[in-house]
Amino acid sequence: MTIPANLKYTKDHEWVRIDGDIATFGITDHAQEALGDIVFVELPDIDRELEAGEAYAVVESVKAVSDVYSPVAGAVVEVNEELEGEPEKVNTDAFGGGWIAKVKISGDATVELMTDDEYNTFLEE
Amino acid sequence: MRFLPHTDSDRTAMLETMGLSHIDALFADIPDEFHLQRGQLDMAEALSEAGIVRKFTKASEKNRNATNTRYFLGGGTYNHFVPAVVDYVVSRGEFLTAYTPYQPEISQGTLQALFEFQTMISRLTGMDVSNASMYEAGTATAEAALMARRVSRKKRVVIAGSVNPRYRSVTTNYLSRLDGECVEVDMGCFGTDLDRVIDAIDGQTACVIVQYPDFYGSVYDLAPLREACDANRCLMVVAFSDVSAFALIESPGAMGADIAVGSGQSLGIPMAFGGPHLGLFTCKQKYLRQMPGRVCGLTKDADGKRGFVLTLSTREQHIRREKATSNICTNQGLMCTAAATYMTLMGDAGLATVARHSAVALQSLVSQLPAHVTAIDGAHYNETILSFDDHVARQRFLGAAQANDIFAGIPLEQLDSSAENRHLLVTTTEMIEEADINDYLVALEVAK
Amino acid sequence: MSESVLNSNDRTFKYSATNGIQHEEPLLFEHAHEAPESIHLPGVEGDIPDALAVFSRKIPANIPGLSEPETVRHFVRLSQWNHGIETGFYPLGSCTMKYNPRVNETVARLPGLAHIHPDQPEDTVQGALELLYEVQEWLGEISGLPHVTLQPAAGAHGELAGLMMIRACLDARGEAERRTVLVPDSAHGTNPASAALCGMHTVELKSGADGRIDLDVLKANLNDGTAALMMTNPNTAGAFETDIKEICQLVHDAGGLVYGDGANLNALVGLARPGDMGIDCLHINVHKTFATPHGGGGPGAGPVAVNDTLAAFLPVPRIVKESDNYRLDSTSDASIGSILSTIGQSGVYMRANAYISAFGRQSLHKIAEDAVLNANYILHRLKDVYHVPFEGVCKHECLLTDEIQNKHGVKTLDIAKRLIDLGFHPMTVYFPLIVHGAMLIEPTETESRETLDSFCDAMLEIAAQCEAGNTDALHEAPVKPFRRRLDETQAARKPVLVWPQ
Repeated sequence: MTIPANLKYTKDHEWVRIDGDIATFGITDHAQEALGDIVFVELPDIDRELEAGEAYAVVESVKAVSDVYSPVAGAVVEVNEELEGEPEKVNTDAFGGGWIAKVKISGDATVELMTDDEYNTFLEE
Repeated sequence: MRFLPHTDSDRTAMLETMGLSHIDALFADIPDEFHLQRGQLDMAEALSEAGIVRKFTKASEKNRNATNTRYFLGGGTYNHFVPAVVDYVVSRGEFLTAYTPYQPEISQGTLQALFEFQTMISRLTGMDVSNASMYEAGTATAEAALMARRVSRKKRVVIAGSVNPRYRSVTTNYLSRLDGECVEVDMGCFGTDLDRVIDAIDGQTACVIVQYPDFYGSVYDLAPLREACDANRCLMVVAFSDVSAFALIESPGAMGADIAVGSGQSLGIPMAFGGPHLGLFTCKQKYLRQMPGRVCGLTKDADGKRGFVLTLSTREQHIRREKATSNICTNQGLMCTAAATYMTLMGDAGLATVARHSAVALQSLVSQLPAHVTAIDGAHYNETILSFDDHVARQRFLGAAQANDIFAGIPLEQLDSSAENRHLLVTTTEMIEEADINDYLVALEVAK
Repeated sequence: MSESVLNSNDRTFKYSATNGIQHEEPLLFEHAHEAPESIHLPGVEGDIPDALAVFSRKIPANIPGLSEPETVRHFVRLSQWNHGIETGFYPLGSCTMKYNPRVNETVARLPGLAHIHPDQPEDTVQGALELLYEVQEWLGEISGLPHVTLQPAAGAHGELAGLMMIRACLDARGEAERRTVLVPDSAHGTNPASAALCGMHTVELKSGADGRIDLDVLKANLNDGTAALMMTNPNTAGAFETDIKEICQLVHDAGGLVYGDGANLNALVGLARPGDMGIDCLHINVHKTFATPHGGGGPGAGPVAVNDTLAAFLPVPRIVKESDNYRLDSTSDASIGSILSTIGQSGVYMRANAYISAFGRQSLHKIAEDAVLNANYILHRLKDVYHVPFEGVCKHECLLTDEIQNKHGVKTLDIAKRLIDLGFHPMTVYFPLIVHGAMLIEPTETESRETLDSFCDAMLEIAAQCEAGNTDALHEAPVKPFRRRLDETQAARKPVLVWPQ
């Protein structure tokens, strides 16, 4: 399993990519593998204000369901509507086409974020 | 004991296999103080099978029933005809004694029947999708309100006074422990004034619940309500008590319902003194994932053959626990099979005949009423309210009718404690013949 | 028949397996021909009034309609794709799949019980009310909780009713801040879902190493916000909560009440009573303990029995007896109100009454004795080849896991599916959640030793196949039934719940 170096990671197995004031969220390859075949992603409403650590989406497999938490604070500006028809993208391309939402960051609040190396160590523990 | 296969020597041998000499060893983990002396409970003596039949026959014979009395009773439970085939199919042990189809490979019979049920119910109600049943109409209505709150992310619920008082009571009871207002709209005496309901809707309203045909049997256009719902991003929930209506009149879907719920008891299920009946739950496709209860879906097996499974189970309590869409687990599965069998036997034509005969019987009765009794105006399906001068006159009539083997209607205050005690909720089905209506009219004259 | 055939040592029938004649059968929407002349129906002929005609349905519902012989054949063929308790062994843990006596079906269909309206005059349904009242009183006696409502339509509905009563009782004591329900992590999912529906929140209690409630964990979570503990006893691991008296005492001392999930009453019926142990409120799954048919998912009934503390809060209407007269009583100031729009699943209770009548005072305890005997017998026969997570005797169901078979890459699901090929309905799998790869086996009291032995033989054969590394048949199972493993992922990704027009 590759863990991209240009992303930050949370203990709940989410990733975040920050480009300026826009943050893109998804779940990690490890998370999708643990969940199994993803059958549905419940996406947040556009403009929804999120606090850091707030549950903003739900990822479902056949027999399991998992909340997804926002690593940073901000307002939802875009969601990955392709997941509505092809939730399996979370399985096949967790760090790319399986992204879930984009947020315009407001404030400095974040949950504890890890680098790729730190996340790798976290997984090994 | 005839339901227990073991002989005493079997029991002894099994205990010996385990190295035990007495059954009590298996209950040693229950503290001594809680052990009952066997046979100590205050209960009846055991009966033989013949004794059971005798006891139940004796009890049954004390009750007036639809084989010896004409039923003009409705209000949520209806005496429609139940073909023999329906009872035969649900008596088959493979349907009757199966559990919830959690092992789909050996439950395809139940599952295909559920899929056919869901399809026919969605067609009859004019809705996109149906679940595989709720307990009955009252809890289905309550669940619709809860679902509308989830979909709309709003909490205020408006219920029209024209909804069956028992459905209202269950719904307000369910909502009373949760945040958010639940408003019951007084529509006046047998009122059909939707404007009062529309006035109660605001931007905070999650849904408005109306009944169609309403509790008093009245049928009216819901288009103005649909507009008001659209203007307030509020869901329109349509409840119904006799689903047979929709073979004759426009469906809840055609009237614009977002969620339609009600009773399917009319579809081949006996009155059975209140249950088991069948709660129907249907909605628009886009709200599917907020729907409560089990659903059956189409898929393929490992060889690519068509098959069915229970699906979308992440909505349910066994996976989502306190965040589930509902706490429901057991549904009315066998009643779904009964309804599917009934609808298959009937088809469009049979269902339409049931509905037409039900409506025509009411029309025949109402059109011949003597002057001292009034029925409410407007379009009605198979129920209406008959009003008498006073309580005494109504009771006199009920007595005269019953003396001639007719249950002439339900005293309205029995269903709605706020109602005056001079009204009757009167219902007809295809089981009412011309001769029964004539006898009904005779009783009205006799008791005048 | 020749002598050699009679004497042959043919072991074909070791397991019943699944080689019956099964027909493919299309969906009824796919039957090719147009609907035949419709069924002949009684009633009043004529045209509907103009006022109603305005609302006439414009497009027919498109319900296909088959002739009577075709309808019968269609549904009989479907039925043959099902496994029911009448077909074979059905050891689903926590579900109590016991034989459903046929006489119960007969008496529930008597016209004076099946064809009566819940709102017809009370003096014309005295026989039905008498039977319901009788079963209501019996359930009070069996549970040791004398006040009973028959209104809840199923177990989860009973949970909601019970929690509503508990909440009302606490409110009446002026303790409206008590809104926390403690639920062991081994609990049925309905428990937390019912608490949420009742406007309460749950705190999960981690089970102890023996699978039982850990008293220290319980103590640490009891406080001024505690409304209730919801517990199942015997618990979902099949073990009796031996500390039951102290558990109830601790909860009561902390100001809370104890709710009992009666799903597992089959282990105790006639031998011990939850009410005597300190439980305040118990729902009973009539479709489990009292042998009413599960019907492919329902109907059930979930009556709730309570002690004096909660009696005032029972739902209305109540069935009461005054001298020799039975009636429905809706007058109660403290009642939680109605939770169903009828008096309850009367037809289910008629069957339960017939079932209890057959055992009576003398024999009711034999249900629990044989149920527990059978579960322990299976446990004993399988304990050396399957991992047993919790030591000791079990009650009416035994819990195993796939830990040993895991080493050969075989999981609980494979074992379950292989059982299908061998002619058995699988046990409950992956529940309770407190052990990995759970297999919960509940044989019930209505199975013969012959059936129990053949099931155990099948389980041993599966374990032996694992040990022999002969695991392909397990992964591919089932191969014999009408359909093989179904693609649940496809069903959930692209849900098709109705057949297109």
